[in-house]
Amino acid sequence: MRVIVGVSDMKVSANPGDELVTYSLGSCIGIVIYDPVAKVGGILHYMLPESSLDPEKARKNPYMFADTGIPALFKASYALGAKKQRMKVAIAGGAQILDQQGFFNIGKRNHMAVKKMFFRNNVIANHEDVGGNVNRTVRLKIVSGDIHIKVGGEGEKKL
Amino acid sequence: MSAISELIREIDGLKPMPQIAQQVLALAEDPMADTQKIAELIRFDPFITADLLKMCNSAYFARSRTIDSVHDAINILGMNRIVDLVVMKCGAGNFSGEQQGYGLDEGALWKKAVSCAIIARDLAVRVGLADRHLVFTAGLLRDIGKVILSRFVGERFGRIQQLVAEENYSFREAEKKILGVDQSELSGIVAKKWGFSPRLQTLIRNSHMPEGVGFSDHAVNVVYVADQVCIMLGIGVGLDGLAYRFHREALKVLGLGARDLQEIIAGFGDKIREVEDLIGSF
Repeated sequence: MRVIVGVSDMKVSANPGDELVTYSLGSCIGIVIYDPVAKVGGILHYMLPESSLDPEKARKNPYMFADTGIPALFKASYALGAKKQRMKVAIAGGAQILDQQGFFNIGKRNHMAVKKMFFRNNVIANHEDVGGNVNRTVRLKIVSGDIHIKVGGEGEKKL
Repeated sequence: MSAISELIREIDGLKPMPQIAQQVLALAEDPMADTQKIAELIRFDPFITADLLKMCNSAYFARSRTIDSVHDAINILGMNRIVDLVVMKCGAGNFSGEQQGYGLDEGALWKKAVSCAIIARDLAVRVGLADRHLVFTAGLLRDIGKVILSRFVGERFGRIQQLVAEENYSFREAEKKILGVDQSELSGIVAKKWGFSPRLQTLIRNSHMPEGVGFSDHAVNVVYVADQVCIMLGIGVGLDGLAYRFHREALKVLGLGARDLQEIIAGFGDKIREVEDLIGSF
């Protein structure tokens, strides 16, 4: 079944028939994780870097922010039997509008947020497709762990 | 025939904005007008009434009880919301189908239209702008030019894309260079042809902040910022991607900084599912 991960949303699955997909990542970031042994995977689609912006919103929807969404993604996959040390990780999105610089560059700040969290927690991303002025769509097949990224204006590629 | 005259001919193929939308808008913008007249206009239009009730009962409004009359809708949701819904209903017809030239699937442009309208309205309230219905309507209709331009963009996409990728043009600037007209200009032409007020025409035409417009008009700034937020969130973004220009000045003159921009994004993120439900109720 095709499982759509919306904006500010997260889905994990251990169902071999599932394909998780998140559409049209602009400055948002999509994080894809997959444990090839447990055959468990998930996608998080967050909008903003830090929950300190609005703790109440983060409590209601932790998937809106990097610092609350990323732990939730990993924990949800552990609950289905995934292990951190086996995890394949991909990051996509974090694009920017032309001339969107400094603190206004949400895409770059979103990317920095995940890099910081991964560094602190010893997680290494196997693949990054980040930045530029393009939108991206990401798919994960639970049965195989195949990850496909479609970049606007280009064909789809398999990681 | 030149590309521009062919484009302008295609405007005739659009469904004209129903008269009731303009009448409701005119009354809503007139501080002396009697809101009862708006209710009467709506009540005498059975199609608008039926659709209005359907939208009022969508999850977007999260009501505990069903709204089953125009009277109820106005009392419970307030006249401002009702005016927005009538304008949305009247505008929806032209956004159906795909816009293949821009790589947009069915419904994507309409989702962006509704999202931009809601963000613009909320932003108008946040910065204390009186023209809330105008910015809502401008937010809703400012991409109407894309419906017409799509085929022409598709035919010349390679050249447009080359200017964006290799010569630092924005997508809109590249459209202007290659086609002689860009999406916002064309939206402005549609707005004029539909008989919109000069003010609304201005907001629609300048929604991408073309060169020389400046940042003195707060309503223009609001619609522009709302559009930028949609693009950042990837809503209604296709082959054009995020290749539009970000003007920090538009936020600055509204008294908004980088944190405010994030708050606006989070505010919309909070209601994105409900917005999808509202769109689905058409």
